[in-house]
Amino acid sequence: MSLQVFRHWIPTVKDAFDRTLMVAKFFCGLHVTNTFLCTCALAMGPSMLPTLNLTGSLVLVERLSIRFGKMASGEVVLIRSPEEPRKVVIKRIVGVEGDAVGNEEATAVVPKGHIWIEGDNKHNSRDSRQFGPVPYGLLEGRVFWVMWPPEDFGSVGRKVENNSLERSLVVKKHKRQKFQG
Amino acid sequence: MSLQVFRHWIPTVKDAFDRTLMVAKFFCSLHVTNTFLCTCALAMGPSMLPTLNLTGSLVLVERLSIRFGKMASGDVVLIRSPEEPRKVVIKRIVGVEGDAVGNEEATAVVPKGHIWIEGDNKHNSRDSRQFGPVPYGLLEGRVFWVMWPPEDFGSVGRKVENISLESAGCQKT
Repeated sequence: MSLQVFRHWIPTVKDAFDRTLMVAKFFCGLHVTNTFLCTCALAMGPSMLPTLNLTGSLVLVERLSIRFGKMASGEVVLIRSPEEPRKVVIKRIVGVEGDAVGNEEATAVVPKGHIWIEGDNKHNSRDSRQFGPVPYGLLEGRVFWVMWPPEDFGSVGRKVENNSLERSLVVKKHKRQKFQG
Repeated sequence: MSLQVFRHWIPTVKDAFDRTLMVAKFFCSLHVTNTFLCTCALAMGPSMLPTLNLTGSLVLVERLSIRFGKMASGDVVLIRSPEEPRKVVIKRIVGVEGDAVGNEEATAVVPKGHIWIEGDNKHNSRDSRQFGPVPYGLLEGRVFWVMWPPEDFGSVGRKVENISLESAGCQKT
């Protein structure tokens, strides 16, 4: 007698199974897109001011550049922290392998297969100046667009740092003199 | 007239599409299994003798231990090389964060979030003794079984190295 009751439920169970499978396929495709193409990330903290917000910026991260080896100085990247392996941080690449990084006090050459990262907010950022160069293998993706907050909406560009500010001022003064004289 | 010919092909195209979709789903689930559960790897080179073969060992790698943080000293691991980001190497974990590694000449403490790896074949292995401690985030998986060659078939166990052999001898006397 109880078996008859079950026979009524068969089409409903089949329908539920098909719908669940459809949802599972959607999440599967979403996961593949997030892992290999493009994903979102919520960035919080003061280390990337003024580029990113203190209380949270929603950014778009693309994952193709790291696979094709097209990361260069000045890119903002998502990278797994060398101190806490479960944490992913956002910093800017200041130097790649072979570059000399540093200031007047100390200079270092970035070893092979490594990159030197620093936050845009030099006064409140824990980066390569504290934990040294990080292996390229820790890179997770490249930040290329800010979605939120609306004031910051727009692309995140490459910013090559001008270490020698005094040199550029001297060049400008020279150029001005050439035109006047 | 040509449209009639196409109408004959519709069931065949449908059938081909369904079969292709089935193959694609198989590779999809194979990829997910390889990335999150268990995968194979072919290990070549002299750095892990005698545990692994010089000319190639087929090993099974599980990917669950690194996610649950259950890696300890003595595990044989698959790790992305800190010198060449596209290369994945197999070494043994000799020390985790906080451990003191080294010999009589020099001792180092492994920093937070890092591990110290060394090959079993100390004379022909490029490892942490050359490039220093590596971040835990570079780990790819744990080698737990050797499938080939048949002489080495069996599990790959944890082997904690006995570093201070001389101090043990002193204590005996």
